[in-house]
Amino acid sequence: MINFPPHKSDDFMTAPIFETEKALNRVHNKKDLLERVIDIFVKSLMERKDVIERELNNENWETLATMAHSIKGSSWTIGAQRLGNIAYKMEKAADQKDLAFFRQLFEIFKTCVQQFIEFDKKL
Amino acid sequence: MKKQNIRFLIVEDDEMIRLIHKDFLKDLFPDAEIFEAENGAQGICHYFESHPNIILLDMMMPIMGGEAFLDILEEGHHCNILKDKPKIIVVTAIKDVKELMSIGKRFAVEAVISKPLVQNQLKSLLEDWIS
Repeated sequence: MINFPPHKSDDFMTAPIFETEKALNRVHNKKDLLERVIDIFVKSLMERKDVIERELNNENWETLATMAHSIKGSSWTIGAQRLGNIAYKMEKAADQKDLAFFRQLFEIFKTCVQQFIEFDKKL
Repeated sequence: MKKQNIRFLIVEDDEMIRLIHKDFLKDLFPDAEIFEAENGAQGICHYFESHPNIILLDMMMPIMGGEAFLDILEEGHHCNILKDKPKIIVVTAIKDVKELMSIGKRFAVEAVISKPLVQNQLKSLLEDWIS
């Protein structure tokens, strides 16, 4: 059995920062679990952002692609659609070794991370 | 497969996704044993130690990815070092259709599910296998 993925990742700036209902569904409406999940998500997001910052200077495309891929997977899982969509674009840029485009996307990504953190504080 | 004898192995580098998988499996099969690995190398160690019958496998992980994990398992069976064949469900954020098709043909891979995981799909799959 192969379940093919949806392709809705082009609209990264109009996508919602966080879909609370989707996230709650993912954890079967367990609010305490959701809190733990978001804590882990934010922690790993910051760690991965630091790794990208460092490896971008080394143009370590393999690591950059892996980091973007991981961010994409976890963001979409938790309903952080905007972050997932931008990470998807970053992964593609890393695959193509497009430094200028990757740098642009990374700047947008950092803004999106801040937006997510601000949004999380209001939850 | 009997509910009482189920041993799951989750091979996934993302701590958050491991937690969500684990919680979901615990709810479905409270008596099951669940083991966790952060990459393919840890997954292989757990495989030898715990003999899981169902594996949830991510593909892109640091240190050792899912591809190498499947290579080692396949080689182990080919050389008769490993006897039991687990059921492997690949849960991946890979979006390339050709790549997904080729993963689906790999040794012991019974299903390939795209992230974000639709839990109902996983549930119906597991319920078909587990009585």
